Amino acid sequence: MERPVLQPLRRLTASVNLTSIRSQSTTRRTKKALKIAPHPSFLDNGTDDHIVFNPPSSAPSVYHTPFKFLPKTDPRRQANLTQLLRASAPASSPSAPEVGGTPSFVAPKHNVTAEQIEEMRALRSSDPATWSVLALAKKFQCSNYFVLMCCRANPQHRQSEKERLEAIKARWGPIRTKAREDRQKRKVMLGRGEL
Amino acid sequence: MTIRAIEKLSTSQNGLGAFILQCKRMDIHYCDHSGSSRGMNAFIKHGLQRFAAAHPQIEFAVSPRPRKHPVMVGHYINGKQKSICVKNMEASQILKKAELLRDASGDKVKRVNKPVTSVNESVRGVWSPYHGDGMAV
Amino acid sequence: MRRTRLASQLLAGAPRAARVSRISSSTTPALCTRGYASAVSGREPLSLDVEDEDALSPKELMRRSTSLPSPPPARAKYSAKLAALHARLSLSPKIPVETLARALIDPSADAHPRFNNANLACIGAALLNNHASEFLITKYPRLPMTILFTAMKGYVGNPVLHQIARAWGVEATASPGEEVDPGLLQFDINKPTAMHTSWGYVRAESAEIQRYKWRRGMSSRVMYDDAFGDLVPGQSSVSDKTGALEMRNDKNSKEMLVKDMPTNAHANFVRAVVGAVYLHCGREAAKNFIKPHFLSRTLDLASLFEFKIPTRELARLCAREDFELPVARLESETGRLSRTPVFVVGIYSGRDKLGEGTGPDLDSARKIAAMNALKAWYLYSPGVVAVPSDTLAEDAAPWKPAYVDIGEVIS
Repeated sequence: MERPVLQPLRRLTASVNLTSIRSQSTTRRTKKALKIAPHPSFLDNGTDDHIVFNPPSSAPSVYHTPFKFLPKTDPRRQANLTQLLRASAPASSPSAPEVGGTPSFVAPKHNVTAEQIEEMRALRSSDPATWSVLALAKKFQCSNYFVLMCCRANPQHRQSEKERLEAIKARWGPIRTKAREDRQKRKVMLGRGEL
Repeated sequence: MTIRAIEKLSTSQNGLGAFILQCKRMDIHYCDHSGSSRGMNAFIKHGLQRFAAAHPQIEFAVSPRPRKHPVMVGHYINGKQKSICVKNMEASQILKKAELLRDASGDKVKRVNKPVTSVNESVRGVWSPYHGDGMAV
Repeated sequence: MRRTRLASQLLAGAPRAARVSRISSSTTPALCTRGYASAVSGREPLSLDVEDEDALSPKELMRRSTSLPSPPPARAKYSAKLAALHARLSLSPKIPVETLARALIDPSADAHPRFNNANLACIGAALLNNHASEFLITKYPRLPMTILFTAMKGYVGNPVLHQIARAWGVEATASPGEEVDPGLLQFDINKPTAMHTSWGYVRAESAEIQRYKWRRGMSSRVMYDDAFGDLVPGQSSVSDKTGALEMRNDKNSKEMLVKDMPTNAHANFVRAVVGAVYLHCGREAAKNFIKPHFLSRTLDLASLFEFKIPTRELARLCAREDFELPVARLESETGRLSRTPVFVVGIYSGRDKLGEGTGPDLDSARKIAAMNALKAWYLYSPGVVAVPSDTLAEDAAPWKPAYVDIGEVIS
């Protein structure tokens, strides 16, 4: 038996969880929450001496040379037998996925011959508008970077491309211009290790 | 050349390698007649020579300052000064003050609330949430 | 303030008309007083511009004829500052304070080579550069040349030596002269100073490099330039050849100026102290002086690197060293669709992880990982190994060749 006056209140309790939670933080509660037991490796497990193994949860330092980078003469190379055995074992597929769109790594093919490079140059010089870098890369199945290494368009084409780019840049507003400048700055800062 | 270098200077920590005493000069002022300089005069007569001989790194300058209280001023390598008025003090107390000036670094007195201050990064590195096995809390 | 090549003239010590006659103290040690009485006669500031003495006022002539350009060495042992500096540096009693006083006199204050620190600084610079370079090369045998040059500059370059001189409690005079305390560093920013250039090769085209900013490759810097990869200015500049027209152009002569005279003077004082230690106490003492004062300083070499295309360089490195091609793998990520995502990317060569980086997007995380992998390669250290100068000691073990990398990945 319920009084109708209390109906709205009941609806409120149903929608908002009104059960009391002790959320007020005090020094004592915070300290208690942060008090964690020592790493199991540090606990005395009956034996007199044992190796404490508690690797740091931090990014590796660059001063810690990876095993592969140790020169052949380095004594650390011979001392680390497990790594030696591991390195000599056949490589199985590592678990971590690769970065990038393609699921597996595509090694450079080195498929373009010297004649094809000559052909590429001829095409590029004959009609740079049709035979753009992208089109040539697609035709010869190589990377854009490789096409750029091989051929160079005539000065008129480069000039017109430059003017086209300038026209595009002229239409940018202050926000976009600043965003582009900041992107360049971030690129430099990344190279300097400041990001 | 894809690598460029960012120019930086090496930093030193006094005492790691060579130690340089930071107090480079001590001015000692006294008055011949005032009673407040009595201890200072005794210190200059009997204690200062031994103290100065023990600390050749410090340049001592003794000069009278008539009708004023005796003062000791320490000059430090970082360009700062520290002065202590030693009026009415005994010679032994003044020696203590001279030792205080000698041992000071010249820096401003700062509150030290960290157990360790180091230029080297921690051996275990900076904690990162993406590394390590993680521990159940 | 012009950086003129005085060294050869200074070392020649051309005789000059006797102006001042003075009796030298016979108690002062050999280095400072050898030929003092005869040398005093030539102690006139060596001025490059030939000026007619008749044009000078009588007062100026009087001043020049009576005063010395720097305090006489005999006064050194009465200077409290000098004795305090000697004790502060814990120098051996074998080093007389007169030598320390001489180390404090820059060629711009006293141009006479027997009274300034040019010769001592020359020895000291050679020792400092030698010990710093062997320390760096044996400790980090894979450093690229540009980083090695910068690290050398960070350990024994001019700005650092300036800081060291200040930390030794050395003060400079307002203006040098006979009457000043010998314990103060004496230099004059308006006078020419000596440059130590005789130990480096001078490029035949050094004038053109300064004038037209020609490119200097890193390998040629090793051969032709000084210990910090900086150009050794040549004897003949373009302005000398083409006449006065370009001489007037301020831009052309900019490179010939000592940019920071106080820094230069302080640095040369520190070098001269090292030279004095070597001269009076020998090679081992100089080495034992250099190690705590200079090589024990901290410089984080990992922060000196600036990369442009780290991924390409890492790929070239792996090709050169016959490692498998480096592959970037995503190790963990968080908040990919949020405003602040974090990606942790590791770079693998075969099964071995070369480096790891964290970034707000996949590409920059990959670049940071490649940079870390390259830094891990370049900053390989075999630990504490012997340096070549160890073998100079008596009953030293024969030299065992140290590991040094073949060179740059992409030069």
